[in-house]
Amino acid sequence: MSTQPTGFKSWLLTTDHKKIGVMYLVTSLVFFVVGLLLAFIMRTEQLDITKKVIIDADLYNTAFTIHGAAMVLFWMIPVLLGFLANYMIPLMIGAHDVAFPRLNALSFWLYVGAGLIAVMALILPGRLDTGWTGYPPYSIVGPANTAFYVFAVHLLGASSIAGAVNFITTIITLRAPGMTWGRLNLTVWGLFGGFIIQLVGVPVLAAAVTLLLFDKYLGTSFYDGTKGGSPILYEHLFWFYAHPAVYVVALPVFGIVSDIISTFSRKRIYGYTSMAIAIMIITVVGFETWVHHLYVAGTLNWTRVVFMWGTIAIGVPTGIKTFNWLATLHKGSIDLKTPMLHALGFISLFTIGGVTGIANGLLGFDIQVHDTHWVVAHFHYVLAISMSMLCMGAIYYWFPKFTGKMYNEKLGKTAFWITLIGAMIAFLPQFHLGYDGIPRRYWKLPSQYAGEMRIAVIFSYITIAGFLMTLYNFVHSAIKGEKAPANPWNSLSLEWQIPSPPPFYNFEQIPTITDGPYEYGKPADTTVKAH
Amino acid sequence: MENVMHGGTKAVHHQVELSVWPLITAVGAFLIPISFMTAFSWGLSSVGLVLAGVAVVVLIVGLFGWLNEVHAKKEDAGLSKLAIIVFIVSEVALFGGLFGGYLYAMLFTDLWPPANTPEGVPPIGLAVLMTIFLLSSSFTIHNAEEKLAHGDMGGFKGWLVMTTILGALFMAFMAYEWHELIAEKNFTVRTNEYGTFFYTITGFHGSHVIVGLLMQIFCMILAAGAKIGKNRQTMVKVTGLYWHFVDIVWLLVVSLIYVVPYLKAGQ
Repeated sequence: MSTQPTGFKSWLLTTDHKKIGVMYLVTSLVFFVVGLLLAFIMRTEQLDITKKVIIDADLYNTAFTIHGAAMVLFWMIPVLLGFLANYMIPLMIGAHDVAFPRLNALSFWLYVGAGLIAVMALILPGRLDTGWTGYPPYSIVGPANTAFYVFAVHLLGASSIAGAVNFITTIITLRAPGMTWGRLNLTVWGLFGGFIIQLVGVPVLAAAVTLLLFDKYLGTSFYDGTKGGSPILYEHLFWFYAHPAVYVVALPVFGIVSDIISTFSRKRIYGYTSMAIAIMIITVVGFETWVHHLYVAGTLNWTRVVFMWGTIAIGVPTGIKTFNWLATLHKGSIDLKTPMLHALGFISLFTIGGVTGIANGLLGFDIQVHDTHWVVAHFHYVLAISMSMLCMGAIYYWFPKFTGKMYNEKLGKTAFWITLIGAMIAFLPQFHLGYDGIPRRYWKLPSQYAGEMRIAVIFSYITIAGFLMTLYNFVHSAIKGEKAPANPWNSLSLEWQIPSPPPFYNFEQIPTITDGPYEYGKPADTTVKAH
Repeated sequence: MENVMHGGTKAVHHQVELSVWPLITAVGAFLIPISFMTAFSWGLSSVGLVLAGVAVVVLIVGLFGWLNEVHAKKEDAGLSKLAIIVFIVSEVALFGGLFGGYLYAMLFTDLWPPANTPEGVPPIGLAVLMTIFLLSSSFTIHNAEEKLAHGDMGGFKGWLVMTTILGALFMAFMAYEWHELIAEKNFTVRTNEYGTFFYTITGFHGSHVIVGLLMQIFCMILAAGAKIGKNRQTMVKVTGLYWHFVDIVWLLVVSLIYVVPYLKAGQ
């Protein structure tokens, strides 16, 4: 028997998965704002692509370096594998907490430490300007303080591995009686796949950057071509993790989209088993794609062909998912609430990104567009904006659950449309630039693209404005929103069957599960029976 | 907030409410890079050294307090055994990355080890001796686990101490080997790619042996305090699994870093 601790100390020393989840959410949103600010600065610099507008070339390099790192490593992965996994996995599988509550707290604080180092890399002398990839030899001989990069990766890596061990153990051992693998929310399946990739991939990235540190400070020659080493080795080790990192974000996103679409169509998710299998296939095949980042680096020819097929093969399970979503919508009782709009907006943006991704994976085509604006456009559609948008949709969807308040529906929908309209156009011109072979990451560009880039800038401002409205909605509603009912969406999923916000121990008694989370339309219309 | 019953029949999971140790451990971990950068990036070597000392102390205090708290509250749901297996998967990936890099370097280099590698490198004789120490320690820790399972605490402690001695001997010989190679043969990380990989991979492995030894010492402390027994074996099982893993990695180290270059150099 115990009461819930309160006050400042209760956050600082907490081991409660819900509080840790909320701290992850707030921290990751801070980094999202940092990333947005840097995007705003870079886009403003592109208002005139022939001469300096507000920042010089060196600062521009730092801006895109920290923008990329903040958005992928400190926003998208933590909001999904930090916030969402923490808050929702115990509720969805019917557990009091995660397997190792203290380890969970350690994961969070290590993430904060890594974030502090990332901020140092932005403002202290020796600012990082290597790109988020940190390729040698530049990262070794250049002016940037590579140690920032290496240690941010180390702390974040330790955090991720601890999190992966914790949540994989939790999902395997702490499922409530009757919560079979076939009754897990697809969100849990997606997170499970994401954690497996983190578990296997992050150590390799950690090794890659450690060797970078040794090369810079201890005089080893792993990546130094003049002493028998090879910078290509770094690219292999880096992308072994950094490409699957995309799926770390994508798999939970796929799960969330499935949950949202099923709830707001009031229909059973179409092809549950194929969805779960597709997630696990992507988890595995995701590690057979990384060489497509090295198509023009001078790797062996047969590896380029093998990995081209691996890359294209990813399209198959991804396509299965997209068609399953459409089939779920078909003849559903669709309710276009804000989270649902985000899920549908995600599918449309993601399809543009996905189709261009297949083209990008083709060896012959990629040689033309490698490291050009085409790639920038592609991954902002497939990953950056579409999945950031979906993360917002996820926060909207579970907002009543974790805050106990309702968000503002009207503002939510308005913000959604503004974001979507901006996102649809903001990166479209860059497909054209890249197709012409204009390299990415250049401070200034040939003047004939001035008009197109100005369109891109204006629509990126619109996207940023949309996101800021969404953030305002979150903050305002968390403070002043109406009180939320336990289950505003009439969802059958387990996390909605307890009060909002959930009581300290989640479930008075561990529930016994009798049916899956998507069984809409059955006579009983309940899946949970407490015993 | 209301009081809520612990419920359920299966896996009663004790929730911890507040713990200061994760935060302290994280602060220690955070100070290590800060001390490194103070010394190497910002040129304040002595301040960096002091900070590094502080960092290590904070880290050890954090981890020790943590483990002590876990065992004081008698939380032994046995989940750690699965967790260590999951963790070992990530360790496999870590060494996979390192060995992958090594094979990449070896296969794309015409002469391996490169021509300027000193005579008598790799020192194969010492490696054989070290292999014997580490392999036999896997058997001794297995015996310790068996004794514990049968409730024979005396036998358990004896075999555990044997294991630690063998592991410590391994580390002593590794230190001696490094010293000989650097001081006598002038073979360093800067010599060539082989030197670079030799010290990095044996060093990574050695650091894992040290972690394994620390786990064994912690088991002894727990055993002395009667916090380990027939009904509370998880910590020992975890230590055993980790130790076997460290042992298997050594077999790879010995084959790829010692034997293969030795045979190739002998051609």
